[in-house]
Amino acid sequence: MKLLVCAEARLGELDRVSLELLQAARGIARDGDEVTALVVADGGNSAAQHLGAADRLVLALDPVLAIPTAEAYRRILCDVTASYQPDLVLIAYSTTGLGIAADLAFRADLPLVAYVTGLQRSEHSISATAQVHGGKILANVDIGGPAIVMINPGVFEEIASSQVDSASIVNHDPKANLKDLGVRLTGEESPEPTGSDVVDLEAAERIVCVGRGIGDEHGIPELRRLAVLLSAELAGSRPIVDNGWLPKHLQVGKSGRTVKPRLYLALGVSGAPEHLEGMARSDLIIAVNTDPQAPIFGVAHYGAVCDVYSFAVALSSRLDDG
Amino acid sequence: MNVLVLLRLTPDPASEFEILQDGAGIDYEWVDYKLNEFDDHALQEAILLKESCSATVTVVATGEGAVRALQMAAARGADDVFLLEYEGDAFLNSRRLATNLAGWAREHDVNLILSGVQAGEDLFGQFVPFVGAALDWPHVSGSSCLSLSDDTLSVAVETGGGTVTSYSMSLPAVVGVQTASRAPPYVTGSMLREAMNVPIGTVDPVDDIVHENVEIASVTLPPQANAEILGEDADDAAGKVVRILADAGLIAGKPQ
Repeated sequence: MKLLVCAEARLGELDRVSLELLQAARGIARDGDEVTALVVADGGNSAAQHLGAADRLVLALDPVLAIPTAEAYRRILCDVTASYQPDLVLIAYSTTGLGIAADLAFRADLPLVAYVTGLQRSEHSISATAQVHGGKILANVDIGGPAIVMINPGVFEEIASSQVDSASIVNHDPKANLKDLGVRLTGEESPEPTGSDVVDLEAAERIVCVGRGIGDEHGIPELRRLAVLLSAELAGSRPIVDNGWLPKHLQVGKSGRTVKPRLYLALGVSGAPEHLEGMARSDLIIAVNTDPQAPIFGVAHYGAVCDVYSFAVALSSRLDDG
Repeated sequence: MNVLVLLRLTPDPASEFEILQDGAGIDYEWVDYKLNEFDDHALQEAILLKESCSATVTVVATGEGAVRALQMAAARGADDVFLLEYEGDAFLNSRRLATNLAGWAREHDVNLILSGVQAGEDLFGQFVPFVGAALDWPHVSGSSCLSLSDDTLSVAVETGGGTVTSYSMSLPAVVGVQTASRAPPYVTGSMLREAMNVPIGTVDPVDDIVHENVEIASVTLPPQANAEILGEDADDAAGKVVRILADAGLIAGKPQ
């Protein structure tokens, strides 16, 4: 079996999710199988220092690929797939992965299984466990032939980083793939909020995060009061920020901040995979939600199945009394 | 400038799901359906383009309750609305939707397709890259801001950690919207009532697209929660949380 891992890199740095994909591939590979990693990056990339767990490394390097667009990556991947004929292509459920997996699936006429959280290998097939409905349902999918799997970040441990044997490196000249691209990168910036009330969520030791389950914005002052009593920062999940109830820099999750505080109190947060990606490694997670099936209870250490506001008022009252 | 928007009505992720006895699927009898929230933002982005550059907005909706979603879209300013009825898919088949909408886009001189970046049950892949590939149009997924100037589309994508990556693309193109540039508005009952008489066309569905290599063997609920459940009484749970926080050294010891 041939497995192709789509590593990701930006500005010369390998994205750690690449090591997770490599772990997923190695986990189902057997003697005689071959795991190949594809790296699309600029010339100064150091991926070869880290991807030694792959049997083979395909490097597609060009200065314009310092921040590769999904389109450029996909074109290179289509070429590599056509020539390598992998049995399984592993792609991260990332911003780049979103742009390449289904596109490749359509053009190469391969089936795709998305939101994968587990891979198993039997004698004749591979099966994937995948999340549906925001992680509230798991689908067990049998894969009986060549396919693409899109793997959720943070599910597999990173494989140990090691140097790739130089004899195992193959260069793919991407020049032909980069002609007449339809999507042009025009800039990348990390605007930081300014002012005296700036909150650095990534450095916060305690976070109270509110989610869709709070209903509307009118309850936020009460929840903010609880955050103050806990000496915690108030943060929100994506729907809260999308609705404009909290500013963007206070968003936790895939398109927001990744946090690892000592305390993460999740109030009305369902725990969609994109949110869990940003907070699942917190030291102590306490979740409150009226839905006993909420996926947040899958990563929380403690949970209460009750009304968020009743809980917040009760907890604030006890902290006040103290 | 013709903008086509796809709206998908999918099971409300807040629903309490139950599995069929044979484990082969979900029991949908008591599940509520709602508009995929990312599609709601895609519709909003289309309406904003209509306001800023006089685009014509056509909306196609599919799934349980799609007619009401189309009326809502008309109330918000969609020019034409169409229903796409499917039967038989266990989960949303984005590849099939893409094949359908690609054919429609070719026939109707569409310049831009907008839809949500993902949906809760697109287990077999996301619509936007599928339809982009089917049409061989450039596509970007995860837009949080969209603007059009001289047939060039500018798209901002939040890529995590506060980083925003900006792209430009010529039309025709496809964009998967995560967040609209401005939040979708509330639609009042009177607006909806006015839209109830809007004519709804139909789109003929294409045949199901099956990859025999891949088959859903079973569906399950996730394993029992890892969390130690502190109960359903808010006051009692709050008391237990105080003890947990004190034990963890996060607050001073408190009276219970």
